[in-house]
Amino acid sequence: MDLTGIPSYLGISFILFLAGLMTVVSKRNIIGIFMGVELILNSAALNFAAFSRLTAGNLEGQMVSLFVIVLAAAEAAIALALLLAIYKRYRDIDADNLTTLKL
Amino acid sequence: MTSGLNNIVFLCVALLTTVPCLVVVFSRNILYSAFALFFTFLGTSGLYFFLDAEFLAITQVVVYIGGVSVLLLFAILLTKNVDAIRKTNMMSGGRMALVAAAAIVLLGSFGYALKSAVWVHSGSSAYPATTINGLGDLLMSKYLMPFEIISVLLLAVLIGSLVIARRSVK
Repeated sequence: MDLTGIPSYLGISFILFLAGLMTVVSKRNIIGIFMGVELILNSAALNFAAFSRLTAGNLEGQMVSLFVIVLAAAEAAIALALLLAIYKRYRDIDADNLTTLKL
Repeated sequence: MTSGLNNIVFLCVALLTTVPCLVVVFSRNILYSAFALFFTFLGTSGLYFFLDAEFLAITQVVVYIGGVSVLLLFAILLTKNVDAIRKTNMMSGGRMALVAAAAIVLLGSFGYALKSAVWVHSGSSAYPATTINGLGDLLMSKYLMPFEIISVLLLAVLIGSLVIARRSVK
């Protein structure tokens, strides 16, 4: 039995996506939420690469994965810069306490 | 024989990817979550090697482990007081229950989709032996416009993050 088929990759990336979803929804620390976003992007890139290799057989999916990785890095830089700005303003990075814009 | 060894290594890499995820979700200490995320990225890089995507694997190591993990650790260092590190990554119980219910629904639909899916295999004969040449060709021909746009985006991110995070002079 060969484990390295497309269902294994889909399962792994499903677990990554679920972990990311749970992290994004349930964490209170903004850095924790950001880790969840990274997990979700990672699972999407893995899916693209798996379909590219195992069903399509060309490089287009890998190209999309590459762009996803670059966008995730850009998002990381901006998110952490915003985080530092929020911390300087409010001295707190708990997402439940940052309610200034709430009615 | 070779297939069995292949399976064992794949299983190890898959566990290296998925088990630290649970630490990311359930750990109360944000430093543990950050280091677990490091191992998840390493495992994903290994999975890319299994998919014959060497360039993607190396990019994953360079960008995620060399860049994003270090940025995360710096953010933790700069924002929270280290005295209370043990409870820096608390969860909200009500939302956790909600998302657990959503996870069960998603798990069911995933299982159903996996059971009813028919995979079309094109065969590995069409797949090139080294992917870097093909990726470079694609990047300079079909994906030239996205490539240029993303380079402008990276420049904007570089300047924007500096402007947002700079220390204001009082």
